[in-house]
Amino acid sequence: MSKVYILGGAQTDFERNWTKEGKGMVALLKEAVADGLEGAGLSYDDLKELNADNRVACFVGNFIAEKYVDQGHLGAFLTEVDPAFYGVPSARYEAACASASVAIDAAQTKIKVGDYDVAIVVGWELMKTVESRVGGDFLGRAAFYEREGKGIDLPFPKLFGRLADETLKKYPDLDENRYMDALAKISVINYGNAKRNPLAQTRKWFMSYEQASMRGTETNPLVGGRLAVSDCSQVTDGAAVVVLCSERFVRERGIENKPTIRGFGHRTAPMLFDKKMADNADSLFVLPWTRQACLDAYRRSGLDVDDIDVFETHDCFTSSEYAAISAFGLAEPGKEYEAVESGLIAFNGDKPINPSGGLIGCGHPVGASGARMLLDLYKQVTGTAGDYQVVGAQNGMMLNIGGSATTNYVFIVGIQ
Amino acid sequence: MLKINTVTVIGVTGTMGANIAGIFASFGEAKVYCVGRDIEKVRRTIPRIVKSVKADAISKKLIPADFSTLEECVRQSDLVFESSKEDIDVKTEIAERVSSALQPHAISGTGSSGLSITRIAECYPEALRGHFFGIHMFNPPYTLPLCELTPTVYSDKALQAELKAYLSEKLIRTVVEVKDSPAFLGNRIGFQFINETLQYAQRYKDNGGIDYIDALLGSFTGRTMAPLVTSDFVGLDVHKAIVDNIYENTHDYAHETFVLPDFVTRLVEAGKLGRKTGGGLYQLVKYDNGLKRQTVYDINTGLYRDLIPYAFPFAEKMKKSIAEGDYARAFERLVNNRSQEAEICLSFLLKYIVYSLYATREVGYTIEAADDVMATGFNWCPPLAMYQALSIVADVPTLIRERLPEICGSVDLDELLADVKPSRYDYRIYFKSGRKMR
Repeated sequence: MSKVYILGGAQTDFERNWTKEGKGMVALLKEAVADGLEGAGLSYDDLKELNADNRVACFVGNFIAEKYVDQGHLGAFLTEVDPAFYGVPSARYEAACASASVAIDAAQTKIKVGDYDVAIVVGWELMKTVESRVGGDFLGRAAFYEREGKGIDLPFPKLFGRLADETLKKYPDLDENRYMDALAKISVINYGNAKRNPLAQTRKWFMSYEQASMRGTETNPLVGGRLAVSDCSQVTDGAAVVVLCSERFVRERGIENKPTIRGFGHRTAPMLFDKKMADNADSLFVLPWTRQACLDAYRRSGLDVDDIDVFETHDCFTSSEYAAISAFGLAEPGKEYEAVESGLIAFNGDKPINPSGGLIGCGHPVGASGARMLLDLYKQVTGTAGDYQVVGAQNGMMLNIGGSATTNYVFIVGIQ
Repeated sequence: MLKINTVTVIGVTGTMGANIAGIFASFGEAKVYCVGRDIEKVRRTIPRIVKSVKADAISKKLIPADFSTLEECVRQSDLVFESSKEDIDVKTEIAERVSSALQPHAISGTGSSGLSITRIAECYPEALRGHFFGIHMFNPPYTLPLCELTPTVYSDKALQAELKAYLSEKLIRTVVEVKDSPAFLGNRIGFQFINETLQYAQRYKDNGGIDYIDALLGSFTGRTMAPLVTSDFVGLDVHKAIVDNIYENTHDYAHETFVLPDFVTRLVEAGKLGRKTGGGLYQLVKYDNGLKRQTVYDINTGLYRDLIPYAFPFAEKMKKSIAEGDYARAFERLVNNRSQEAEICLSFLLKYIVYSLYATREVGYTIEAADDVMATGFNWCPPLAMYQALSIVADVPTLIRERLPEICGSVDLDELLADVKPSRYDYRIYFKSGRKMR
C-alpha cells in the first residue's frame, strides 16, 4: 500500500464574513481551491493532465449546506469552480463537525490502495448566512435532533455544558473551581495563540483570564449550563483545502520533505448524550471512544504521546478540549487540569495544543475544521507555520469530533 | 517590553479618549485613570468603555477622575495619553500640568491629528520632550488597529523603539511610524480621495451629485463604505478640519483636491455635520410608524431627496463577477468600459495608487506604510493590493499614463512606480459585491 503524503493546501481568512462581502459558496470555493492548489504546488493544467488518466479525485467535507445555503450535491459543485474539474471524480462526505476528517479518510484510502495519485480535500461551511440562533438550531442536527435539538435554544452549548457537569460527576475528587479555572485558562490560551495566526477569526479580539472567569456577566453571558460565551468556539465562514498524494506522485515529481499521514483513528460513540455517558461507566475516561480513537492512531503510527510535538484539538467548547487532554495521554483522566496549570499545553509548553488558536481562537467553520487542523499540522511539521510555529515540531496529532463527541477522528502527521 | 502598569487618559469623555482607555485597560492590562472635566460625565462614560472592548473584566481597572486630581493621576502613571480638544491653548495648559507631575521614566503622548506634534512637544519643558510622542489611533480602535506613531526631533530613539514594540505586541496595534506632517499618512491619503469625491459630487451635481459619486465608488471598488458615506460618518466638521489643515500646510501636486466645496462649508455652518447630528450629506428620515427613509442632499436644490437607484452597467457587471469570486472579470469590466461612470471610477482608483506612493514618500518611511494605514485604518483595499488587483487585467503604468495625463505631467511616475512591490494584503477581501446572498 502507498504511503499518503500531504502536499500542502490553504485556508481562507476566518475573519471574513462572506455574506457581508456579498459573496456565496461559488466565490468561497473559487478562492479556497485556487489558493489550496497553489499551496500544494499544483495548477489547473496539472489537474487536467492528471484527470486525463483518472489519477485525481476530490473529497468535499461539509456538514449542512442544505440549511445554510440551500444547496446539496456538493461534490459535483466543484465543477462550478473551474472547468478543470469536469470529469474529476468528486463526492461530499458528512459527519457533522468531523465532515472534513471523513473526507480526508476517504481520500487517504483511495491513495493507499492506488486508485488515485492525487486527492484534493475541500472542507467548507458558510455559517453567517443566518442569525446565530437559527444557525444554532441547524447545528442541532449533529445531535439526535428530534430528542436533543428540536425546539431547544442553542442545543450544542447545552450538551457541552452537560459534558462539564458529567466530568465533575465522574471525578468526585475534581474540585469544581479548579475545573472551571482550567476551562477559563484553556479559553485564554486559545485566544492568545490566535493572536499569532494571521488567518484566525479572533486575532483582534480581547480575552483575559479575568474576563473568561467572569461568567454570567453582560459581556460573557452563560450559554449552556455552567459554560459562558468565552468557553465557546465561534460562528465562522471559511474553507480549508489540503492536497494528498501517493508515493508514486512524489517520486514522479521529485518532491521532497513532505509529511505523511502516519496513522488514524475513527470511532463512533452512541449518538444520544445520555447513552454516551451511560456507556462510560466502566471506563476511566469521560469520553472512552475519543480515547480509543487516539489509541488506534498511536497503534497505527507506531508512535506514542512522547513522540508528538504539537496537537490540534476540537475545542468546540472548553469542556471538549479538557476531555481531549487525557484522551491524547497528556494527563491522567480526571487530572487534566495539571496539563493546563503546569503550562504543558501552552504555546511555549512541551506539548502545545492548538498553536493555531483552535476552534475558539482560529474559528470553526464546521465542515472545514478537520481540513484546517490537518493543514495546520502540515504547516507545523514542515516549519511553515510562521509566527505560530512550534519550534522543531516533527510529529503532530489532531482530534476532530462530530456531534457531542459522537464521531471521533484522529490523524497523526509527521515527516518520515 | 515596556512596563506600563498605570495610564492616565485625559479627555476620556470624547469618543477617541474613551475607546483608547479601553485599549489600555484590556490589551494593555493597565489601571487607567479616566480624566475628564466633568466627573459625572466620566462616570457615565465608563460603561461605554467596557462595551467598546466587550469585557466587563476591565471595569475595575477604569478609575474615574476629573481635572482636580490630574497631577495625582499623572504622578502614578507610566504613560499619560492626552486626547483633548484640538486647540493649542488647551493642550498647552494640560502640558504644563502634566509636566509638573510626570515621573522621569514616564511617557507622554497625544492623540492629536490636527496640530503639529513638534509644536505640542514644545509645550513641555525640554527635559521631558524626549519622552513625548504622537500616538494616533483610528475609530473604533477595537476593529481598526492602525496606530500612527509620530516621533519629533526631540524624541528618545531607544524609547521610541520600545514604545513601538509595546503598541504592537502588547496593545495589538498595527504601528506605522510617520513624520510630523499635517494629518499624518492615513488621513492624508484617505481624505485626498474623499475630498476629491466631494468635489466631483459638486461637478456632477446635475447627474445627482452625492449619491451619483457614491454609487460609482461603492463597496465593489474595494472599501466597506462609499466615500461620502464615510465623510458623513466621520462628521463634516472633522472632515473640514482635516482637509483645511492639509491645504494650508502642505503643497503637493494634489493641492487643489483638498479645497472643500462651498456647499459643504454651508452644511457645516448650518450645523448639518453628518450622522452625529441626524443629517449632513445624507439624512435618515424616521417616521412615527417606525418606517425609515434614506435621503440625500441635492446640491442643486439645497434640499434632501430620495436616493436615485443608479444601476450603471459597468458597476452591475462588476458586482455580479465579485459575487462569484471572479475578480479578474470584474476588473476587466472596469478597465474596458468607457462610459463616463467607469472612467471616473477607474481614474479615482488609479489616482489613489499614485497619491499613496507619493504621500508615503513624504510622510512615511516605507512603501508598506501606505498599505498598512489604508488597510487597518480605513478598511480600504490598500494601494499596493489595488495595484496588484488591476495588474491581473492590465499594465497599470500604461493605464495610469493613459488615464491620468495631467498627474503624469506633475509627478515622476517612473520613480514612484519603482517603489511598487507585492502587497502583504489580499485584495479579494476588500472588493464586495454589495449584494444580498443566501
